[in-house]
Amino acid sequence: MALPLSYHWRNLFVRKNTTILTVLVIAAVVGVFTWMIGFRGAVNQSLSVAGEERKIIVLKKGATAESNSAIPIDEYNKLGQLNSVEKNPATGQPRFSPEMIIQVSLPRLADGGMTFANVAVRGVTDDAFVVHSNVKELGTRFSVAEREVIVGVAASKQFGGLNIGDIVNIGFGGDRGYKVVGYFSADGGPMESEIWGYLPSLMNAYNRTMYSSVSLRLTPDADPKEVIAQIEGPAIQLTGKTEKDYWKEQTKLTQIYLFVTGALVAVMSIAAVFAIANTMYAVVAGRTREIAMLRTIGFDGYTILRGLILESVMVSLMGGIIGCLGCAAWLEIAGNTKDMFGATTFTTMAFEIHLTPVIVVAAMIMVTLLGVVGALMPGLRAARLEVLTALREA
Amino acid sequence: MSSAEIEVSQVRKVYYKDRLEIPVLDGLNLKIAAGEFVALMGPSGSGKSTLLHLVGGLDTPTGGSVRVGDAYLESMTERERTAWRSRHIGFIFQMYHLVPVLTAAQNVELPLLLFKMAANERKERVKTALTIVGLGDRMDHRPNQLSGGQEQRVAIARAIVTDPDAILADEPTGDLDAKTSDEILDLLNLLNSEFGKSILMVTHDPKAASRSNRIVHLEKGLLEREEINPVTVRESAVA
Ligand SMILES: Nc1ncnc2c1ncn2[C@@H]1O[C@H](COP(=O)(O)OP(=O)(O)O)[C@@H](O)[C@H]1O
Ligand SMILES: [Mg+2]
Repeated sequence: MALPLSYHWRNLFVRKNTTILTVLVIAAVVGVFTWMIGFRGAVNQSLSVAGEERKIIVLKKGATAESNSAIPIDEYNKLGQLNSVEKNPATGQPRFSPEMIIQVSLPRLADGGMTFANVAVRGVTDDAFVVHSNVKELGTRFSVAEREVIVGVAASKQFGGLNIGDIVNIGFGGDRGYKVVGYFSADGGPMESEIWGYLPSLMNAYNRTMYSSVSLRLTPDADPKEVIAQIEGPAIQLTGKTEKDYWKEQTKLTQIYLFVTGALVAVMSIAAVFAIANTMYAVVAGRTREIAMLRTIGFDGYTILRGLILESVMVSLMGGIIGCLGCAAWLEIAGNTKDMFGATTFTTMAFEIHLTPVIVVAAMIMVTLLGVVGALMPGLRAARLEVLTALREA
Repeated sequence: MSSAEIEVSQVRKVYYKDRLEIPVLDGLNLKIAAGEFVALMGPSGSGKSTLLHLVGGLDTPTGGSVRVGDAYLESMTERERTAWRSRHIGFIFQMYHLVPVLTAAQNVELPLLLFKMAANERKERVKTALTIVGLGDRMDHRPNQLSGGQEQRVAIARAIVTDPDAILADEPTGDLDAKTSDEILDLLNLLNSEFGKSILMVTHDPKAASRSNRIVHLEKGLLEREEINPVTVRESAVA
């Protein structure tokens, strides 16, 4: 027993304005929802790439981020005592990647260069490309003799002046120009938002004598906790963190941002349910006699309830589709990268948001639920309608 | 083509409003033979619609019994009565109660959606019903593209599409002009004489009532008196 689909479909257009308004409310919720889920996915993707347990970042004692860490050379040399560090097969020595982080201010492409972001520049040696094994060079590497840098693909998409051949001004007062000679990827990890150059050259540009951090890889049998204890122990006076923990701390702000957005979506969803319920109450009030007639003919209350839920879900799905299209259009127009401050580094992490089929399906499931919940109370009212009273109101 | 005898015995109906008893029917008896056309008259508020609803199984009596064919309505559950009603009763209302967003054909098809029936057969039946009421050429019109009389014809087609045993009409011409009323009454006469449908029609209009075989008057909860219409009785006997 069911009413024809065309009956429900055409009824949506009887109260065109209310329907359109409800569709727009739902579209707004879905737009924010899909964007947020996409962003969350990008952050998680980034973190899972940068989530190696066997990779350790060493910082100055008490430092929370590379940008406020400085490791004196003699402390760095003490790292040689560490057991369980992966060795360089060529030399038989443990492999360390000493690194230095500085920042340059670059225009954001998303707003046409109206605002600037702090982009991390990392000084590295050849060892960095081994220790950070997910970093893949796309094109040439910077030479050690020239002032050259390579650029992470996320940074290149998001910030201006990072095309091959462009000059990035680095050093005190930006007095040294480094030429962009190549790109690199990092499996979507946070390093894709960085610019890399040769460590000694960059240290020289800033008159630095200390490294910001040292990265190393553990041998497969090593226990990260023991190694970290050794790094922080009496002999060596430094701080060690697994890469996973390090980046988790760095994205704390992003996590808060996501939480707030999530709460916003929740509040908007509740508002949407009320909007739907309100619309459906109006629908039921407007169709009281019609519903009574259908009951008289022999349609039962359940069929009426189900039909109203169907109408509500149709409206919700329309909103869902428009919301998804809106989100896709927004990503197209405004760009699908979003940058966030690292919690302590004050450098920028860029995330690339993708509206995947999974997200679209999730959005459709969500709007279906909104539609069902919103139609429930008005639908029950319609199902329990006093048929005879309604008929007499004629 | 089915038709059924209707028997209302000792029916009482009391409504309650704010704990106040409102007695409407007070031990009413009425028997309608299979294939008989009865007009029900009476002052406003005398309980005509109430009686119609009881006969159609839309409501249950406070006391007494209602039988339509071999169905005893008071012994059925509400669910059973609903299912029974959809097969055996055709309702016609003063205000037509068509679904505005559906075409004439779709409106007529509605009761058939309650049955397991092939789409072809539904289509066939809808066409037949609309042809009987003279709207075979208006199948795809929406109610707002039809005149009041045409709308009522569609409603009649909807009432007969299931081939019910009885047609219950509550002031079917109450909203129509004299000429259109006549056409609707012609149609009811046709359904009665050609198709043998039992009809119980509530009306205020003596002229409309005169088209029936018998007129019963409801007053103070009882049928006060009745008039046999010799002309129409003879006609339907011939048919
Ligand atoms: N649901 C109800 N509750 C209380 N009183 C009702 C209800 N339905 C009908 N009545 C009363 O019953 C009486 C008969 O109503 P009805 O059968 O509609 O009369 P008629 O059709 O003859 O005008 C009226 O007085 C009406 O007010
Ligand atoms: Mg009445």
